[in-house]
Amino acid sequence: MRDVIRLEKLSKTYGSRRGLVELDLAVHEGEVFGYLGPNGAGKSTTIRLLLDLIRPSGGRAWLFDRDSREHAVDLHRRIGYLAGDFVVNPRQRVDECLSFLAALRGGVPRQRIEDLATRLDLDLSARIKALSKGNRQKVGLVQAFMHQPDLLILDEPTSGLDPLVQQTFLDLVRDAKIAGQTVFMSSHIMSEVEAVADRVGIIREGSLVALDTVTRLHDHSVHRFEITFAGPIDQAALAALAGISDLTIDGSTARFALATNLDSLIQVLARHSIASLRASEPDLEELFLAHYQPSNAVKEDNRA
Amino acid sequence: MPNVLTKTLWDARRSLAGFALGTALVGVLYASFYPQVASGAMTQAVESFSPALRDALNMEDIASAAGYLGSSVFGIIVPLIAVIYGIATGTRAVAGDEEAGYLDLLLAHPISRTRLLLHRCGALAVGAFTLAGLVLLAMLAVRSSAQLDTVSIGQFTAQCLALALLATLFGTIAITIGAATGSRAAAMGGAAVIGVLGYAANTFATQIGVEDARYASPFHYYIGNEPLRNGFQWADLGILVAAIAVLGFAATVAFNRRDLNS
Repeated sequence: MRDVIRLEKLSKTYGSRRGLVELDLAVHEGEVFGYLGPNGAGKSTTIRLLLDLIRPSGGRAWLFDRDSREHAVDLHRRIGYLAGDFVVNPRQRVDECLSFLAALRGGVPRQRIEDLATRLDLDLSARIKALSKGNRQKVGLVQAFMHQPDLLILDEPTSGLDPLVQQTFLDLVRDAKIAGQTVFMSSHIMSEVEAVADRVGIIREGSLVALDTVTRLHDHSVHRFEITFAGPIDQAALAALAGISDLTIDGSTARFALATNLDSLIQVLARHSIASLRASEPDLEELFLAHYQPSNAVKEDNRA
Repeated sequence: MPNVLTKTLWDARRSLAGFALGTALVGVLYASFYPQVASGAMTQAVESFSPALRDALNMEDIASAAGYLGSSVFGIIVPLIAVIYGIATGTRAVAGDEEAGYLDLLLAHPISRTRLLLHRCGALAVGAFTLAGLVLLAMLAVRSSAQLDTVSIGQFTAQCLALALLATLFGTIAITIGAATGSRAAAMGGAAVIGVLGYAANTFATQIGVEDARYASPFHYYIGNEPLRNGFQWADLGILVAAIAVLGFAATVAFNRRDLNS
């Protein structure tokens, strides 16, 4: 599969501060890539390098197999970009702003803009300064999606959006994926990335610390269990399970976390009578936090 | 179909209209005092000034229409407002919009930095020429009633053309500083300091014995050879245009090199 984004040892230093450290990354055509990390980890730096708004201290970035700096103007025709803090001159009407941005791209069918505005419940005749933060972000969403670009680069796209509109946004991303568009989306909110992304990269202090499919990250992740037994508990058998951690017994209730192999748990449980069982779906949030709490992660590894 | 130049002008339409109408109005007000000045009261007052002060304020010949307009209307108030317009517009063109965060979005579109800069310089020039054009129309409108007939239409046009280029030059200075630094304060402050120094150099150079300093001042090329008396000063106008072109080129080089501030 063709790579839409390819970063080769991409580095950026701001004075003595390191923004990005020799980042290697490839995003494939047609995938939704979630780029996770806390504020200041280097997400926006990566995106601004891709868009040639800032220049790398080292390494290169390729978009559609072309140098992102040398061919910036041509490449931007194929890109839709949305910043988390989308700002435009507030003293203009929404449609004035959108038709100007569309004109910079050689025009976008009026119907397409109206459809998106309807979907997002955005009033095209409003003045931008009269809009709430969430509604301004909708203007940003429309301009990023309206020309149906081959690549969508979205930097914290849902900031300020209310939950309903966040769902509409996720639908837009799903539609883009169905249409064969590639989406590169940064976020510090796990759930929205988890909902649409095929693969996830986690960045920390300018370096990629994890890169995998959402599915496989789940497989490696920890499920949490809360089991109430009807009879006596064989604590030793539970404690002997491979990959168990945080085991606490509280009367007839056992709480623990278990990584990977669930088979052995089922076999242990089969010898007991169970009053209730609750297993919580692991989410990327936990995985993510594990990456940012190295001490805890090591502890769990040791127990395993 | 809108482009960056037309959109920049459209977005600034109120500010441009305000500046242009205001400048023309102030110009007309001052110009219409001329009949009183010519009648003698003012001349006598000026004669009591020392020769050095008269020379500094360009008031040697205040009784003639060209002398009066050159020292008051086109000597101080109109170029002052026009230069302020140029600096304000030039500051917003790059550094102001960059600090506000508008440029990220524009430059993520298929627009090179060079094109953005040229369109912004173009919008500045159109604005400056609009302002100067309105001043010209206003002057011509009161030319007879204010007894300014001794200055020909051509001479008025020559002075207003120089005015347009002066405003464009100061705007371009602000654009260039903004393009190099990305700082709104540096663009506005730098251009304003150059404006004050340039005005002082042109006005007081002779008095403080550094006569040649005035050749470094944009104001010298604007009014030094008295277009109101001598008509088009093509060499001076050429120097203003050349300075704008050189600065514009420097701005492009600097802007293409650096990181955009976030």
